[in-house]
Amino acid sequence: MTHRRWFTPWLLAGPAIVWLAVFNLWPAVNTVILSFTNAKPLGGGRFTGLENYGRLLDDAQLADALLNSIVFMLVCLPLLTVLPLLLALLVQRRIPGITFFRTAFYTPVIASAVVVALIWGWVLDDRGLVNGLLRQTGLADSPVSFLTDRWLLLFSAIALTVWKGLGYYMVIYLSALANVPRELHEASAVDGAGPVRRFWHVTLPGVRPTMVLVSALISVSSLRVFSELYVLSNGQGGPGGRDMSVVMLIQMYSRGFNGHLGYASALSLLLFVVTLGPMLFLMRLNRKAA
Amino acid sequence: MRRIWAALTTTALTAAALTGCGLGSGDTKNGDSVASAAATGEVKGKVSLQTWALKPKFTDYVQGVIDGFKKKYPGVEVEWLDQPGEGYSDKVLSQAAAGTLPDVVNLPPDFALPLSRKDLLLDVAKADPKLADEYVAGGVDAYRFAGRQGVFGYPWYLNTDVNYWSSELLTKNGLDPKKPPTSLDELIAQARVMKEKSGGQTYLMSRKPGLGDLYNAGVKIMSDDGTAFTFNTPEAAALLDKYRDAFKEGLLPKDVLTNTYAGNTKLFNAGTVAWTTAGANYITSLATDNPTLAPKVVSSPAFATPPLYVQGLSIPKNTRNPAAAVALARWVTNAENQAAFAHLTSIFPSTKASANDPFFSKGDGTNAGDAKVVAFTSLAKAKLIQPVQVDDAMSTVINQQIALAISGDASSKQALDTAVEQCDKLLKG
Amino acid sequence: MTTVRPNTAGAPGAAPAPAEPAAAGTAGSRGGSHTSRAPRTSRGSRGFNTASPAQTAVRYLLLLLVLLLVVGPFLWQLSTSLKGPAEDVFTRTPVFVPEQPTLGNYGKVAETIPVWTYALNSVIVAAVCITGNVVGCTLGGYALARLRFRGARLVLGLFLATLVLPGEVTIVSQYVLVRGLGLADTLAGVALPGSIAMLNVLLMRTAFAAVPVELDQAALVDGATVWQRLWHIGLPNVRGMISVIVIFTFIGAWDDFLWPLIVLNDPQKYTLTVGLQYLNGTFSANPRLIAAGTMIAFLPIVVVFGVCQRFFFKGVEEGAVKG
Repeated sequence: MTHRRWFTPWLLAGPAIVWLAVFNLWPAVNTVILSFTNAKPLGGGRFTGLENYGRLLDDAQLADALLNSIVFMLVCLPLLTVLPLLLALLVQRRIPGITFFRTAFYTPVIASAVVVALIWGWVLDDRGLVNGLLRQTGLADSPVSFLTDRWLLLFSAIALTVWKGLGYYMVIYLSALANVPRELHEASAVDGAGPVRRFWHVTLPGVRPTMVLVSALISVSSLRVFSELYVLSNGQGGPGGRDMSVVMLIQMYSRGFNGHLGYASALSLLLFVVTLGPMLFLMRLNRKAA
Repeated sequence: MRRIWAALTTTALTAAALTGCGLGSGDTKNGDSVASAAATGEVKGKVSLQTWALKPKFTDYVQGVIDGFKKKYPGVEVEWLDQPGEGYSDKVLSQAAAGTLPDVVNLPPDFALPLSRKDLLLDVAKADPKLADEYVAGGVDAYRFAGRQGVFGYPWYLNTDVNYWSSELLTKNGLDPKKPPTSLDELIAQARVMKEKSGGQTYLMSRKPGLGDLYNAGVKIMSDDGTAFTFNTPEAAALLDKYRDAFKEGLLPKDVLTNTYAGNTKLFNAGTVAWTTAGANYITSLATDNPTLAPKVVSSPAFATPPLYVQGLSIPKNTRNPAAAVALARWVTNAENQAAFAHLTSIFPSTKASANDPFFSKGDGTNAGDAKVVAFTSLAKAKLIQPVQVDDAMSTVINQQIALAISGDASSKQALDTAVEQCDKLLKG
Repeated sequence: MTTVRPNTAGAPGAAPAPAEPAAAGTAGSRGGSHTSRAPRTSRGSRGFNTASPAQTAVRYLLLLLVLLLVVGPFLWQLSTSLKGPAEDVFTRTPVFVPEQPTLGNYGKVAETIPVWTYALNSVIVAAVCITGNVVGCTLGGYALARLRFRGARLVLGLFLATLVLPGEVTIVSQYVLVRGLGLADTLAGVALPGSIAMLNVLLMRTAFAAVPVELDQAALVDGATVWQRLWHIGLPNVRGMISVIVIFTFIGAWDDFLWPLIVLNDPQKYTLTVGLQYLNGTFSANPRLIAAGTMIAFLPIVVVFGVCQRFFFKGVEEGAVKG
């Protein structure tokens, strides 16, 4: 679009670009620099070349963590792309009390980690709700260890992530649904299309760009999963730490007075490279769709 | 090349160019001159005190202590900051990085160690030669660090762990609350009774072993110079084997695998287990959380050597008012003020003069009072069991590997070797 | 005994990761539908989607089912905050109905900590962040979506890159930076980093890109300036997204714990999340008070959400329906 003065766009985008540079790009550059040092939070950084990157190779926990993150993404991506959309459709129509439901569905997003851990503990631990139901229905004789088994813990954390993500992505979908022209629905209804067909032929194409955006967000955030695993495993990452995620490792190494910022930075950059993959894939998908 | 990188790192880390201060302002000062200034200088002017999570319950107490200080030294002004419990290490870390630590700051020993290594803390023994005469040895030793000369904090209040038993659950399952287990073997034996009688509904054992249990099994945790971990011994493996077998037998709830230090307390509060370990003030806090459970709790001494927990007050080297800072730290930790503090809650003074106070050795007939007496008696033989070098990351690693061994997915020896190897790596940086 | 407690509040990943990309483009081509501002007809608001009672019943049934799944933590906290001092809090099976309900815990929270001061501080921080995000992200998003300029692709690429850029390990250096700007121990320092969030810039760009190009072109023929086009054509069509941004920003600012804790020193300046931590003190934590405090902090979020969600559909309902 045309504008008279060359600097107008820069004027408009200026503030955003300043914040981009100071609070996003600078920390990233910082991280790159740190990754070549043995820096600690209280200084003492010395150039150590590729030592941190070499250490990545023989970190046994890292292999597990990467696997966990990828499993996480593969399961979360389809679930969280579709379920919040269905939820958004469910709460889209203005019917009495809908504000209450919309707000209630959003509450898990803002619930405190401590309480979430408490509630999910009640649901999932040895004598929790789920195990009680399993016992009563005779599906299991001995309790299923949802919170201490290597894979079950991971899947419990995925369930928690989906539970928390429903409301968050629902909000994004809601604002996208608003952009689906109503007359398309009406025209389709006049043509005799039922709700299911209207969903496939009107709603879905209408929110497609948002779906791509949402899947990108989900793939990034599930590769960077932290709080859900942390909360369910009390920060311990399960027996042997086999349920650590990469961000949990980064936290473990970087926090505290003795934080190993150098190694944590190298881990951070590795995660960056891993995240690029699905992002580029989705962007391509998007271009194709367009 | 190396120098350029070092310069870059420093910039990146502290953005020193922007701030013009940050780290290093402490390093330029000579510790001796600060110490002598502290010893000889006049106590006046402004001084700041930072405590950890004492507001609002102890607001009046701390304010009273500060008022007393101002009365004793007219012309002195005290600014009191109390930081919330959560996130304290991040707070102190950013204060240290920016060179803005308050003049007197509450640091547990594991916070003081890294700061003293960066030469940010004052050696208070130099400023105050009588230190060792006035405070109990355990408290002072907590602020002496391997490889560093000096004492880097005034010991403040002390605590230890006591065994707590749910008399209701014990009685219900055919056990005598008057004769609680006094050793691991007795614990396992009684846990077996508990399991059979309750049909696996309640447990007696409530936590996986930690460094403290290894220590009590005669395992040396760390080399004397604090540069290497040594807890991967056959005795340690034998202890883990015992726990592994007990776990397999179903004597512990599965949750212990992912639980942390306070995990057994949580299980105890929920009535899942009949035993927990906690500080002397536990029954009081239980009376708030689960009032119906609190009266049914009895206490007994820890199994072998009880752990000693110390809080202390340190003084940063770059304090602008060393004389007032030292005087304030001394004042807050003196026998009188600590005794007053201990009367408010179940903690114990680190001053020698308080040792004979009958208040601590006599119960008041309540179970909370009994626990206080048990704790006070235990304190005499309590030791700093967990080396201060063990930070959060190491604790996590140790917890993870012990859980792995208990779950039976790795041999005890293997798990311990891995833990030692990883902790050594973390220790070296 | 105080031990070092791990903090989950400020953890990365806890906050939703920022957004994505070129997702926008396609929306714009749909075109045309927003042009008419004719008043909506009765057919427009009801029309095809009049539901039968059975359908409505199914809808409510589904709504209640989801409600049951999501509302646990909220309920537990609410019930804990209403429990009397003689009731157990941490029981084996959660008890959701207080036996001796009392509002006393709320009163005690207000007695224990200056909850209004803290709330006011939080409101200030949130207000600064919301203003910054609405203005900064709207302008930036508009420029990226609607104006052509050299370097636009690069800038957009950088914004996209922030979605995956690492920054986990630099919170201390961010503090030193804010301190260097003279903003340590100020609410401005707390608000500053979050005043323009990259995710929101991208969301606004997506929203502006969905506005039909024809509208802009028509205005251009009329000689409208960039500002006029932004104000009269862009903004009215992106109100839904602005309300999303307001919600996200408000909640982000309101809930943040670690950053305000690090920046602020003076307890009078604490934000609500930090101040509420005083209820969790050494030797003195009462879960009922903590729950009451959390509910107090929760209320404004509910209000903001309730108000903002009305705007999600405004654009459609006011503008899109042809008579």
